[in-house]
Amino acid sequence: MNQPKLKSKVACTDREIGEVTRVIVDPLSLEISHIVVGNGATSPERQVPMARVQEVTDALVRLRIHSAEMDQLPALKRDDFVTIHDVEIAHLEEKVHVESGEVLVPVPELEKDVKRRTFFANFTQAIGLVIGLPLAFPVLKYLMKPMYAPLDNAWLKVGNVGKIKADDVGVQFKYKKKVKEAFMPEAEVEKNVWILKAKPETLDKIYHGKDMEFRDASGRHIWTNKKDVPFVVYSGKCPHLGCGFKWRSHKVLGQVFLCPCHLSIYDQTGKVLDGPAPRALDPLPIKISASGDIQIIDMEFKAGTKTQTRIV
Amino acid sequence: MDGHSTTAPTAIEKIIAFVDERVGLKKIQAKMLNEPVPGGSRWAYVFGSCLLFIFIMQAVTGILLMFYYVPSADHAYASTQYIIHEVDYGWFLLSYHFWGSTAMVVMVFAHMSQVFLWGAYKKPREMIWLAGLALFGIVMAFGFTGYLLPWDQRAYWATTVGVEIMDKTPVVGDFLARFLKGGPTPGQMTLSRFFVIHVMVLPATLMGLAGLHIFLFRKAGPAGPFRGSDEELKAKTDYFFPRQIWKDIVAMGAVFATICSLAFIEPVVLLEEATPDPGEYHPEPEWYFLFLFQLLRLKMFAGEFGQFLGAIALPGLFMALLAALPFIDRSPERNIFKRPVALVGWILVMIGILVFTVSAIINREFLD
Repeated sequence: MNQPKLKSKVACTDREIGEVTRVIVDPLSLEISHIVVGNGATSPERQVPMARVQEVTDALVRLRIHSAEMDQLPALKRDDFVTIHDVEIAHLEEKVHVESGEVLVPVPELEKDVKRRTFFANFTQAIGLVIGLPLAFPVLKYLMKPMYAPLDNAWLKVGNVGKIKADDVGVQFKYKKKVKEAFMPEAEVEKNVWILKAKPETLDKIYHGKDMEFRDASGRHIWTNKKDVPFVVYSGKCPHLGCGFKWRSHKVLGQVFLCPCHLSIYDQTGKVLDGPAPRALDPLPIKISASGDIQIIDMEFKAGTKTQTRIV
Repeated sequence: MDGHSTTAPTAIEKIIAFVDERVGLKKIQAKMLNEPVPGGSRWAYVFGSCLLFIFIMQAVTGILLMFYYVPSADHAYASTQYIIHEVDYGWFLLSYHFWGSTAMVVMVFAHMSQVFLWGAYKKPREMIWLAGLALFGIVMAFGFTGYLLPWDQRAYWATTVGVEIMDKTPVVGDFLARFLKGGPTPGQMTLSRFFVIHVMVLPATLMGLAGLHIFLFRKAGPAGPFRGSDEELKAKTDYFFPRQIWKDIVAMGAVFATICSLAFIEPVVLLEEATPDPGEYHPEPEWYFLFLFQLLRLKMFAGEFGQFLGAIALPGLFMALLAALPFIDRSPERNIFKRPVALVGWILVMIGILVFTVSAIINREFLD
């Protein structure tokens, strides 16, 4: 059935009795539940349920009831209702079309017969791009400035072998590294490595009878750890996700390197015994002076990868 | 104005009328408050309003913290300690901000669960759900970036591990990690970046997205209960104001009281200043990330691929599944007791999170 329009004439089975003055909408179903019929005269406006409406045409709403029955329908109590301007009901305007006619506004003269609307629209976008695109690269470069620092192969003194009392035992060496970051004053950060005085059989498991070479990304030689030097240094960074591991005794596995974060466990050769680590501990270049002073090259590798990727 | 009134309007009434004529305040107020809630107000609907309240309080306390906090590697820790130990009520504002962030995560969780169990993500509310998921991501990013700012050991190590995890994202991981850190290792650049993301980028994004979320919600209208006949719903329907707003404000009061109590009982205490040497500290993320942390300890997520699976693929797939949910689950049935897959799925996820969180806590004692 059509929706009744405001101002439509309303007729009972016997005669015309007035016009639609308002409609009442159910806020949940968004259907018109009642029309309100008035005749502009003394009698009150009456609420007519849609069930009593027989037919709706463009100009006329025909009811099923006799005009004498109108008095039995409830009078409109205006205070029991709010208008749709005072309440927000989603999708109401899509469902209810009760206006008695269109309300028109003339189009401005200059807007008539404009041929190049699409051109103007595209041109606006193009100017936006002309403003935005040249900014993209400088902004990206601006943000990327500190991201790729060159690698530093300087030797750092971390301590003396005199600190190591037993073979095949991980000993932590803490040292300070000078860093100069961007505009910041030069600062010292505390770092640490683990150093092992390896028994010959341990050394053999680490080196497999070959010297260990360190090369930079371009293949240039940096340093070689000789296979017969008993001191081995491991980067303090866990190859799983970069926490700091410890030398701990384990109930089953004995003395091991254990990372408290995700419980990766390594033996004294750096091999993964248990836990989620993807590769063994990272040995670093080590140099022992005649007096027993230990120097290392402070390298860091990306954690979580099977192969080493140096990042510091 | 009241046309029947015979007395002249007071000065205040004139000012209100002046403003209202130009702004349309009364109309806006009426539109905001007079939204029909199908089936009537409920305590189950308070979570969204609570989130808005928590966010506003986080913004207020966050702005106050910035009066003293300095985002530099050599002053962040000292300025945070100064807030805690020297500034009047500094400890309280900082602890409120800390516990507020926890409340935010808990409330997001409750809100998402409610929407999920009520089937309120279904047509025509798919876009509200998607905007909500984006907001969930923003809340997590808030937690992650804010965690670094005090620059203590906890902060440093959570960030170190968190960024290493992002590094495992295929193709863009390395760039993303370096971009966030502003270099190969965490330092001043990282702090600067996390700070600006935490106090500018995320709040602006959250406000935009939350605005969109609420706009879409008002556009679609509230979903209402998942059972009951049309007549029953209609009989119980009321407006947003006053009953729902009353429930909302009571819930907000309870949230406020809880956060304040936690701030008093368990005020924030910093660890040692951040350094790349963890010392005796056992790094651990905030409790709501513990289940993920424990997950990564599993043997099945060992090795390079396992780690990608556990840290990136699994959470990524879970989020993708949530995003696809309204498009996969197209049945109009909203009653959770008639959606066995959804109910069992929700229970399994809850149990999973609970089990992993508890086992992470149990694991602690084996480390000392």
